[in-house]
This record gives sequence, C-alpha cells and structure tokens, in this order.
Amino acid sequence: MIAKVVCYALNGLDGVPVEVETDVNKGVPAYEMVGLPDTAVKESKERVRSALKNSGMLFPMNKITVNFAPADLKKEGASFDLAVAVSLLKASEQLVGADVNGMVFLGELALNGDLRPVSGLLPILISAKGHGFTRFVIPEGNAKEARFLGGAEIYPARNLSAVVKHLVGVNPISPLETREFTVSAGKKSSADLKFVKGQPVARRAIEIAVAGGHNVLLIGPPGTGKTMLARCLPTVMPDLSFEEALEITKIHSVAGTLGEEGIIGERPFRTPHHTATTVSMCGGGNRVVHPGEISLAHGGVLFLDELPEYKRTTLEALRQPLEDGVITVSRAGGTFTYPARFMLCASMNPCPCGNYGSADRTCSCTPAEIRRYRKKVSGPLLDRIDLQVEVDNVSYDDLTSTEEREDSASVKERVNAARRIQRNRFSEYGINTNAEMGERELSEFCRLSPEGDKILRAAFEKMNLSARARGRIIKVARTIADLDSSEEILPKHVFEAVSYRIYDKIG
Amino acid sequence: MTAEDRALVWLCSLEGLEYRERAALLRAAGDPVKLFEDWEKFLPLLTQSNQSRVYKKGRAARERDADGFISSLRDKDRFAVTIFSDDYPELLKQIATPPFVLFGEGNRALLKERKFCIVGSRKIPAWADQAGRSIASALTAKFAVVTGFAEGGDYAAISGALPSGKLICVLPTGLDNCYPADHYALKSKVGKTGLLLSEYPMNERVKRHTFHARNRILAGLAEGVLVLSAGRRSGTMITANAALDCGRDVFALPHNANAASGEGCNELIKNGAGLVTGAEDLFAHYGLKAEETEASALPPEEEKVLRVLREYGELHVSVIAERADVPVYEAAAILSALEIKNLAVKSGGNKYSAVR
Repeated sequence: MIAKVVCYALNGLDGVPVEVETDVNKGVPAYEMVGLPDTAVKESKERVRSALKNSGMLFPMNKITVNFAPADLKKEGASFDLAVAVSLLKASEQLVGADVNGMVFLGELALNGDLRPVSGLLPILISAKGHGFTRFVIPEGNAKEARFLGGAEIYPARNLSAVVKHLVGVNPISPLETREFTVSAGKKSSADLKFVKGQPVARRAIEIAVAGGHNVLLIGPPGTGKTMLARCLPTVMPDLSFEEALEITKIHSVAGTLGEEGIIGERPFRTPHHTATTVSMCGGGNRVVHPGEISLAHGGVLFLDELPEYKRTTLEALRQPLEDGVITVSRAGGTFTYPARFMLCASMNPCPCGNYGSADRTCSCTPAEIRRYRKKVSGPLLDRIDLQVEVDNVSYDDLTSTEEREDSASVKERVNAARRIQRNRFSEYGINTNAEMGERELSEFCRLSPEGDKILRAAFEKMNLSARARGRIIKVARTIADLDSSEEILPKHVFEAVSYRIYDKIG
Repeated sequence: MTAEDRALVWLCSLEGLEYRERAALLRAAGDPVKLFEDWEKFLPLLTQSNQSRVYKKGRAARERDADGFISSLRDKDRFAVTIFSDDYPELLKQIATPPFVLFGEGNRALLKERKFCIVGSRKIPAWADQAGRSIASALTAKFAVVTGFAEGGDYAAISGALPSGKLICVLPTGLDNCYPADHYALKSKVGKTGLLLSEYPMNERVKRHTFHARNRILAGLAEGVLVLSAGRRSGTMITANAALDCGRDVFALPHNANAASGEGCNELIKNGAGLVTGAEDLFAHYGLKAEETEASALPPEEEKVLRVLREYGELHVSVIAERADVPVYEAAAILSALEIKNLAVKSGGNKYSAVR
C-alpha cells in the first residue's frame, strides 16, 4: 500500500512542500530512500526504525521504499523524521481510520520516539499556511515559536505515540492556543540612555540617527562608552510591529538562534567580533546557506566595534546590503536572498594610540600612522555613514554624579514623532525614512533656503567636503528639522548637521 | 646664462656632495669657472669615497653633463637661481652659509617680493592651526609667505597662502622628490601657483641633515619668522634659532602655560620674541597698514556663544551650552556656524575655543 504525507523543507526563508511517499510491498525485506535526500535525511532510516519499535509499533519486515517529491530539490536536515514515520505507519496499515490529508508533519525523532524541535519552524508554518495547509503536527519544543501564528490548528506532540494516538482519535492533542503578540514579549535588554554619563553630543547624535534611520560612526578614545552608547540604540528605536517581529523571528528561526521566548520581540543588536569572515557576516555555508550577521541584525542594529580592525573585504561586502536592504548569497546549493535592512553603528579610535584630537592627552602617533589607520576604512563605506560624532572622555565628576539623565523612553517618543512625519511624507514613495531618500526625494523635500545653501557652500570650502557628503548633510538636516517639527530646513538645522561630519575634518 | 652661472649650476647638480665640500672647492679655486676648467686639480679636496665615484670625468664629459642638466631643467619648466643672479634674494646672501644655487619651480617673480616665514610643529593644536591659516592668508597682502613642506604648522601656512599664490615652499629634498609622500599632489599645486625651492640636485632624497639645512634657508629668505607651535626640542625651534643667528625678527603665538605643544613658543616669548595674536601685530611691527576686514554682524545667539568662548577660553560643548543658556544640541549648531565663519575651532574631545 502507498501512503502520502506532507512535510516541508526550507529554501532560504521560504518553506517548500515535500511529499513523503512510502510504499510497503511484499518482497525481500529492504528499506530504501530516494528523492535526493542528504546524509542527515538518509540517517532517519535508523531513527525511524528504533522510534517505531520503542513506541510499541511494528516495523514492517517488507520491501519499503520512501520517496521524497519533488525529486529535484535537495532535502536536508532531520525535520522529515516524523513525516517518514507517519507515512510508514500509514502504509503498513497501522493507522486505520486516521486522516492525514491536508496535514503537515514536522519533527526530528529520538531513538525512544520523542520528538525533538527543529530549526526554521516559523517560516515553514507561514509558508505552509500560505499554501493552504491549516493542520500541523509539530514537536512540543517548538510550541512557543508557533503560538503566534493565528488561523491554523497546531498540535504540539511530545513523542511519536502521542502523534499516533492523536491521529487514530484515541487521545487527541488539544490545538495550541494562539497568543497575541505584545511588545513586551521577549524584552530583556537592560541598556538605557539614562545610564549613559555625560556625552550630550553623542546622545543627541543617536537620537537623530534613529529618527532618520541614519548610520552612525562613534569616534573616541578607548573606554569612553562607545559600546554603551551603541547598546542604547535599540532601546530608542520604534517598537516592532507584529509583521516586523515575525520577519525577524523567521530569520533567527532559520539560523537556529531563537531563544526561549520563541519570538524576537526586541530589535536585534548584533556585535560580530572583528575577526568575523565575510561569509559569517553576509551569510553562506557549505550547501545550506545560513543567514549572516547582517541578516540577523535585520530590523535592528549591527554594531562594528573598532571598525578599522575588520578585514577590508568584509567591510566592503557591507556596501551593497546597506544600499539595498537585502543580501543575495550564491552557493553550490542555490541562491538565497535574505533581508538585511539594519542600522549600522560603528566605533573607532581616532588614531592607533587613541588620543589624537584629545584636548588633555597627547597622541604618540605620527601623522603617517594616523593616515594609515584611517585608510583602513574605505571612503565608499564612510560615505554611507551619515553621522560621525566624537565621543569624549568622561570626567570623574560625570561618572560619579547620581543625576539621572533623560531615559530611553522619552527619547523614543520624540523619535516616534519624527518617524510619523517621515511616514506621512513618504507614503507615496515607497520609503520610510530620510536616510533612504534618493535624488528625486532630495530635490522634492529638501529644498534649502538661499541662506541654507550659502551656509553649506561655506562649509564645503571650509571643510573640504566631497560631493557625496552634501546629500548626507542635507538628509541629516532634514531629520533634525523633523525632530524639531519644522516643515522647512532652517539654517540652524544645517549647522547642526554639518557638526556631525567630524571625520571629514580630521581626515 | 653666464659661464659662472653655468659652472655653479653644474657643481650643485653633482649628487652626493655636501654643502661644505662644495664650499671648500669654491674657496680653493676662487672662482667657479676656474673650478670647472681645472676640476682634476681640486679633486683631492673631496672625501675618499667621493673621489672614487663619478666625479673623475674628463673635460668633455663635464661639458656634456652641464649642458644636459641645464636643458633638462628647462624641459621641466624649472629654473636655477645662482648666487650671482640678479634675483637671488638679498637677505639670503647675508647668512653665513648661503646656498650657491637654488633650484625652483613655479613663479620666479616671488623671489623679489618681501618675504615672511611661518613655521610650526607637525602636530599642532586646532586653534593654532586656524590662527596660522588666517595670519598666512592676511600676510599675503604684503608678503610672500615662506614655509616648509610638512604637515601641521607648515600645512596651515600653505593652506592660508596658497589661494593667493604668494607662497614659497622650501623643500628638504630635490625637486623631483616629495617628503612627506602624501603631499605629492600638494607639491604640484604649489609648483603651479606658488614657488617651490630646493638647494639640492633633483634626485636628492630626504636625510636627517637636510631638514636642518633647509631651515637655515627658511630663516634666511624671510624678514621675520613666526612660530605657530613648537615643543621644547623640535625642528621648529631650529628654524627659530637659525633666524636669531642671522638676525631676523622672531615672533611666536602664545600658548597655554602647561601645554607641551607650546613650550617652545612660550620659551621664545620669554627670551624676547614678539608676541603675535594676529596678522595686524606683524603689520604693525613692519609699519604696514593692514587692510581692514569689516566684521559682519552676528545673530544674537552666535554673539552670545562667542562671548562665552572669548571670556573663558577652551571649553567643552556642554559647559558652553550651560554658560550661554542654550540646549546642548543648539550650542553644537551655533558652534559649527562660528566654525564655518572662522571665529571658533573645535579642538578635539568636543571642546571649542575662539579664534580671530
């Protein structure tokens, strides 16, 4: 007899339906798997055999053929185990009366029949729901992740025998209760701007950066709180909407980095070490393409501490995703596109010894050393960083003062207001923030008054700015005006924007 | 070109000779033409290593070399000013060891202008850099600005004077080389609009002593030397001392009492150097009338912040904001406005000071 059961494979962030067909026939006992399974899938033979026996079921001593369709798709991982086991039971007539049509089975089997959680469950469920499937059997360990998906019957099962009892109707599993997504789900960061001592200029820059979606570079001597400031970035970013949270969760689910909570409710903050390779940053892998750091930072912040220490090629690879918000990785196993719209925050010392430009300590580097250090970061990458701020030494008084500064929540309110203005402005242009403006939007929304233009011209001559820097300054000025709820870009906004181009000046 | 000029240019085109060797040869021969004619006779005056090198050429080869060198100068739009030339700077002749020949590239007419030298150490505080620029730029109304070719103080003088073209840079290398290498583009710019000078053959590389030798030319060319910043034992101090040795006026910008980068300047002032805070001090010293620059009226906010800066000196932006009673981010905007108007500079660590 032949039995068909549906299972899902992952292709990037999308689930692809895979039919598991099992034929149990008379003949010399044999057990074959066909349909381009990889090693982990083939090994499911032994897991299924043991799991069946240890769950009190019969492993048929016949000629068994398991086929995975479509045959041209390479199948990977252990998430097919449950589907293979169910189809085998069905084909050997051990599941009399069970209706497995329109059901999707996902899960890895342990030898004793327990179901182990699989990675990438949420994207699979979302795709399958899109394909019209509404009933799912999943491992209990994945329940937290699945409970945010509404409009489907999801049965979390502890082990194979529970699945069997559920299918034959002896002891049905109650479907998972859907939970409303709330922002508080999964909040765990303890960073807050109120703990940042001093640094009025950098605080302001962070507010502007988040409000307009600009990338930011913090320049300052070691130990001045650059990392601390960066950690505060996600806390002032607007709350995640459910769609955003789902998209982020999908990526983390595929990468297998989903925590206890089962959903990412907080904007990610990723800090890859400077030894990170291009592949780990952008995504890749042998045959399966795993999302890289920039995709894991999607919707949040990618923090590159000590920017010049990163490998040049790794940094250059960031340029395209910074523009497009997606990364397309090609590997032998196929070409995959992952979202990668993140905010880049980088930090660096002003020179190798860290004291260049400091008012109270002397720098021991030669001008040539400083230039060499600066040159490690390419111009095109710097051009994509709108705000460059100096983080200065914190005095002892600042450190010990108990005066509470403005906290992240109140900054966030202003950020939200500025974002609202931007959303209204760009509603017909397919973009959300000032940083995404192109030439067309710049000329439409960022007209400078003659006075503002004069200022910019003077600044250009004074600071030797590049042509590309002009657009950046105007974008930042636009954001500052938005924070000020000002329709027009006033001279003071331009002046402030100019003051955040410190790197151009030192360099 | 007279025979004398030609003989001198030839002598100075020989690579590997030092100033004192050339001087000894000329002293022994009494006349460059004679030296050129009877070269073999004077060879023993050279050091052993130099004797065994290329200098043992015959008369015909010497002629060829001299003519070849002079025509290659012309090909590259360069010129040679010998100590016999009409436009050899008078002041430079008066120093103890005047260069016999100066190779130049650019505007030769600048040699006849009045000259004033501005130098500073390679690392220079932002305010001193700004002061150097504005003084250099103002001075070009009456003087050609003479300076070296390094980063920091020299660069401040170059950037101030280059737009007007009245700039003379004296190199520590031959005209074909560039030190620091990063200033390569700058070199051709100065060579086009200003004037590059060097006493060395075209290919001479930078050596320890060439800076020292160059500094004597800087001091020798100019009527006075202004030191923007100098540590206690810095190359800039060598120029200042060279200026004193040949009786030039020495001026210095006053620095904070305890700043290491300004110790040399303050030391000079203690010993009697002129204290300079702006170009008008220099004009006054030379009895010249500075052209009045009209002060444009500032908006009240900027005026307020500038007053705070003038009153208290270098301040952190948050302190400025507090004293001027504006939010910090507005203070940052106002300060950057003042910066663009050349009234304030950012000196690192988000600190600002006023300049003129």
